[in-house]
Amino acid sequence: MTTEPAAAEEVLTALADPTRRLILDRLSRRGDATATLLADELPVTRQAVVKHLVVLDRAGLVTARRDGRERRYRVRPDGLAATARWMNEVAAQWSSRLGMIKRIAEQAERAGLGGEAPGNL
Amino acid sequence: MNKDRIEQDILIDAQPAQVWSVLTEPAHVGEWFGQGAPAEIDLRPGGIMKLDHGEHGTFPTTIVTVDPPRRFVYRWASGFPGEVANEANSTLVEFTLEPENGGTRLKVVESGFTTRLPSPSPDASYESHLEGWKGVVAELKKHTEKLVA
Repeated sequence: MTTEPAAAEEVLTALADPTRRLILDRLSRRGDATATLLADELPVTRQAVVKHLVVLDRAGLVTARRDGRERRYRVRPDGLAATARWMNEVAAQWSSRLGMIKRIAEQAERAGLGGEAPGNL
Repeated sequence: MNKDRIEQDILIDAQPAQVWSVLTEPAHVGEWFGQGAPAEIDLRPGGIMKLDHGEHGTFPTTIVTVDPPRRFVYRWASGFPGEVANEANSTLVEFTLEPENGGTRLKVVESGFTTRLPSPSPDASYESHLEGWKGVVAELKKHTEKLVA
């Protein structure tokens, strides 16, 4: 079975939104930025940026620290790395299942239980 | 590795009809996709294929396409034991079988990971406007390569 960090889904969901991808792009390019700064650069309001940052924060993709009256955000690469690992694991599980299907089908074929007459197994 | 879905294939030295029976017959499915006991399979579009994954629970997957011996598609709610798979809680698993060199090329595609939301989030209405998962994993790969040194 898939051992799946719930976080992986949150990461994928967070990344499914084009504006959030833009925000991540901007953050990774700048190193860090405040919501105000991001809103200046993007075609969305500061309020919308804050909402997106909350989703990204919850998914573990950004982290914030206080800077005077504002919060400065930066990208956390480990969230993405964990999700990439999870996707790899899901792929590896399918690879192993396909291997089993191959083994069973080839054994049955050799034993002459062929699929020509389905239902004779 | 990452595209907008997970895709794997394998060349099998057996006829497509034989591979089809391994994919769809209870005893076989129980062996490669369960705990060994035969799976319960109502093999028709809309039918349920009950997968027993032992301590992880039972997974009533919903069959979408039955086109022997070419294509078998179902929805699998792997994050929700006991729940019948529907469009909101599951990924789509698609098997295609093609004759190749006297054997069969079996391909599996699993897609739709971001639709499997773990629970309604506080901003669920907002989330529901997501365009879906298309391209997401490609973005993931891009970001990962860029961010993980």
